[in-house]
Amino acid sequence: MLAESALASDEADLVSSLIDSVDRYARDRIDARGIDRAHQIAPSVLRDLAEIGLFGLSIPERWGGAGLSMRAIADVTTALARHDRSVATTVGLHLGLGTRGLVAFGSEAQHERWLPDLAAGDSIAAFATTEPDAGSDLAAIRTRALLRDGALHVDGGKVFVTNGGFADLYTITASTPGLGGARRGHGLLVLERGDPGVRAGAEEDKLGLRGSSTTTLHLDGVVVPKDRLIGPPGEGMAQLAHVLAWGRTLMAAGCIGTAEAAISAATFHTSERKQFGKALDRFEVVQDQLADMAALRFAMVALVRDVTALEHDPAALLARSVAVKVLCSEAAWEIADVAVQLHGGSGFVEETGVALLLRDARITRIFEGANDVLRIHLGLTEATNPREPASLAAHGPIGLEADAFVARIKSFRTALTSTHGVRLLGKQRLLHRLGQLVVLRDAVHAAVRHASDDPDRAARWLSLARQRSLVLLEAS
Amino acid sequence: MNAEISLQDRIHTILAALTTVPSDEISDGDRLREDLGMDSVASMELLSMLAEELGIEVEMEEAVDVATVGHVVALAKRHLDAR
Repeated sequence: MLAESALASDEADLVSSLIDSVDRYARDRIDARGIDRAHQIAPSVLRDLAEIGLFGLSIPERWGGAGLSMRAIADVTTALARHDRSVATTVGLHLGLGTRGLVAFGSEAQHERWLPDLAAGDSIAAFATTEPDAGSDLAAIRTRALLRDGALHVDGGKVFVTNGGFADLYTITASTPGLGGARRGHGLLVLERGDPGVRAGAEEDKLGLRGSSTTTLHLDGVVVPKDRLIGPPGEGMAQLAHVLAWGRTLMAAGCIGTAEAAISAATFHTSERKQFGKALDRFEVVQDQLADMAALRFAMVALVRDVTALEHDPAALLARSVAVKVLCSEAAWEIADVAVQLHGGSGFVEETGVALLLRDARITRIFEGANDVLRIHLGLTEATNPREPASLAAHGPIGLEADAFVARIKSFRTALTSTHGVRLLGKQRLLHRLGQLVVLRDAVHAAVRHASDDPDRAARWLSLARQRSLVLLEAS
Repeated sequence: MNAEISLQDRIHTILAALTTVPSDEISDGDRLREDLGMDSVASMELLSMLAEELGIEVEMEEAVDVATVGHVVALAKRHLDAR
């Protein structure tokens, strides 16, 4: 476990108390398999979590929330996700994507109107941006909000809206041509469930996160006052980027919860299950798998710690949130998959719970940005505006090894840019490789910075990252 | 002037294909992001396409500062004139 020193002292006690409340409540009242079978979280559970204060964690105290730091919210999200990912997604969506646009960019009047109920959990938030023809390509959205006769006329539709089935408030992304003088601007708007023309569709039947509500959202002839627009006209894409940075980081924190649940199950199972006369965890291959899982989890925690510390530097948060999302979603899937494998046949059966962890983890590699597209974005950013992480030499031998690792990636990037020049920007395969190397680099840097907390796991992660980088560095 | 108009037309045509804004509605004053809906990825890909189509070698540092259609035309012209 990494040191808690990064949490401000006034928050540490509150977070500890919240996590304790979450753990006690979840042990008694959250039945992950029951939620999965029912395809629903009981409304009473959400009310109880609102009573604990979970829906107000990210909302300023002035409006009735707890106004916690991003790091603190991440820690509570991790705790909730250890118990059930559907519940964590429902709450986490509200705390991140669902309310962030309003909190960060809303006016005083908008805050006064909506934040108190959102903080209390009396109103649940959703975020609607994806469309049938606009998934990774968000600039292609067709939902339009046109200003006519002093009101916004909104038409279009969204898909895969988390919390869509019961949200009271939707932040949507719309094209806003002409608004604010921008021919093809975008904006974030607030719509309420009761607005005429706003209608949620049927619940999707999903591979995982079955307790989390996912619906379409139909917007037919919606007319709302122009004060539903969040922030200045035409700023929607920049606002969306900030909202996604928060959403991705909190989602990464949820992935840590999944990873920890999987590791806990695997550790227990392999200590109990005997084959050939001894417990599974006495076998070298199993020991290696468990050690790799723990090292990967260490890297996840370290990187989330580092990224949440960038909360007050929006540009840096935006840049780094992509890597933490990719790392943690891939790691959660990998760890859950190994947990299933270590359980043998019983891992394939729902009773042990590890199959559910795997099913629930799958979507995290897709939503909030499909990972392969994000890797290309990372490669593009690194190619055009390279980041030079600080030297880790002060951390001793492991720091020097990490510096060498970082230097090798820098050389790779330099070789790409000098060979291809600006044409590199159109070479997806190379950008994809560079992007994945950036993910590994950031995770190594974070893990080594926190190496004093667990030197063995930091070293093992560095070794794993080096192995994984080889295929990327040496591919022709 | 004719050569410049021709270059401008070529660039407008490429932009029309990338953005679905008709080429005759594109002007040099248009901002790539706000007016043509191009995100940072598309803007960079545009420059890569121009390099391929026009045979010019644009430095990465030059690419970062391009924000309008006029900047794109000027960048391309600068490189073509230097050949």
